[in-house]
Amino acid sequence: MMFEILDAEVLGIITLTLRMTLFSTAISSLIGIPLGLWLDSARFAGKKLVVIINRTLMASPPVVVGLVVYLLLMRNGPFGFMGLLFTFEAMVIAQVLLLTPIICGIVHTASARSAEGIRLFARTMGANKTQTQLLLIKELGNDIFFAVVTGFGRAMSEVGAIMIVGGNIRHQTRTMTTTISLLRGMGEIHQAIFLGAVLMLIAFSVQMTADFFRKRERASDENF
Amino acid sequence: MKISKLTKNFERFSLFVDEMELVPGKIYGIIGPNGCGKTTAMKLIAGLIKPDSGQIDRCGLTERDITMAFRKPYLIRDTVVRNLTYPLTIRGIQPDERQIKESLSLAGLWDYRDSFAPGLSSGEQQKLSLLRAMIFSPKLMLIDEAFSNLDMESAGLFERMILERQQTNPATYLICAHQLSHIQRLCAYIFFMHKGKIEARGQAEDILYAPQNPHLKNYLKYASLREEAPGWNS
Repeated sequence: MMFEILDAEVLGIITLTLRMTLFSTAISSLIGIPLGLWLDSARFAGKKLVVIINRTLMASPPVVVGLVVYLLLMRNGPFGFMGLLFTFEAMVIAQVLLLTPIICGIVHTASARSAEGIRLFARTMGANKTQTQLLLIKELGNDIFFAVVTGFGRAMSEVGAIMIVGGNIRHQTRTMTTTISLLRGMGEIHQAIFLGAVLMLIAFSVQMTADFFRKRERASDENF
Repeated sequence: MKISKLTKNFERFSLFVDEMELVPGKIYGIIGPNGCGKTTAMKLIAGLIKPDSGQIDRCGLTERDITMAFRKPYLIRDTVVRNLTYPLTIRGIQPDERQIKESLSLAGLWDYRDSFAPGLSSGEQQKLSLLRAMIFSPKLMLIDEAFSNLDMESAGLFERMILERQQTNPATYLICAHQLSHIQRLCAYIFFMHKGKIEARGQAEDILYAPQNPHLKNYLKYASLREEAPGWNS
């Protein structure tokens, strides 16, 4: 039964989903982590508004993001000449737009809570700017890791935006979530459940890894 | 180090230090009631915050020559040893293993050398932060109530360490403590602060045993000082 379900097409779908998730999480992390750290340390007029806008974007509905990306990439849109609509790249762009505010927001919140103390400590030790930034990233490692894991989970489970910009094209832009949606519509419940289980298993593995690293660094509240 | 006409204003508090001079190699005390501006003054001296006006002449000392130990120390999310050697690492200095072992053993932390430092008890964390601040031999060390979490034996150990270092490798210390016995044993000269200003200053014995300022007299009313001569460092 399992070998029947796990054919080449399904494996292709799983691989494509993982590739898309990894790419979009990596790009979003590269943008969102420095942005979150910068947002905490920077002093400028309108900073509060920027933070509120980012928080709003954290909760932006995927279908809306998908629609925006669709309008940008459609043939008559401003980036239509690039021919990206209904491609893997279009799905990654939509995912990056969804994930970056989430990663940035989590890193910013963590940074706002602890970064000042870390910077102060670094200065008392005589650390230069680069050493202070490195220490900050190291000390906020758990939170940054959590932000990345959250982004990964969001990318993995997302369906609305990638359905619009990817088009759910067989062998090209069909991911696990869009396939589950399609299979349910076709009444292929067993395959939908199987893919759902695989999706959950991957999400569980990621969370287990995250938990393993978080446990290693747990501080004691006890005073012996 | 010379400070003149230094001001720092906050929403509900203003600090004004008209004049303060710290001579290299001496141990100074700074005392005063809660909220009088001791920590702010120390942070200004350390260069951790900027004054609104006034001058601080650090006489050639850079940020790397100055350190400050706080009542609530910050420990890196790493092992005890890596915390201790952090100031050396960022200076590109190879830690001396014998010195590390000696320092940690003295403070009773050698057995925990590979433990996660933020998991230590508050007193142990405090000891580690003091050792860490001293390991790179800063020229100016500001200690802001950093003895407050220590038991008497540990506090005595650090007092001895400071005094012994003064014989071999003298540095300037500015120590803030509410337990005046530390100030009495360590400091030659004391500043008394009240409501953001230095209201009294002088030799330790004059400040502690013959106070003239009414606020200082009131502050010392409940202090229990030993009879031995103050200012071992003098």
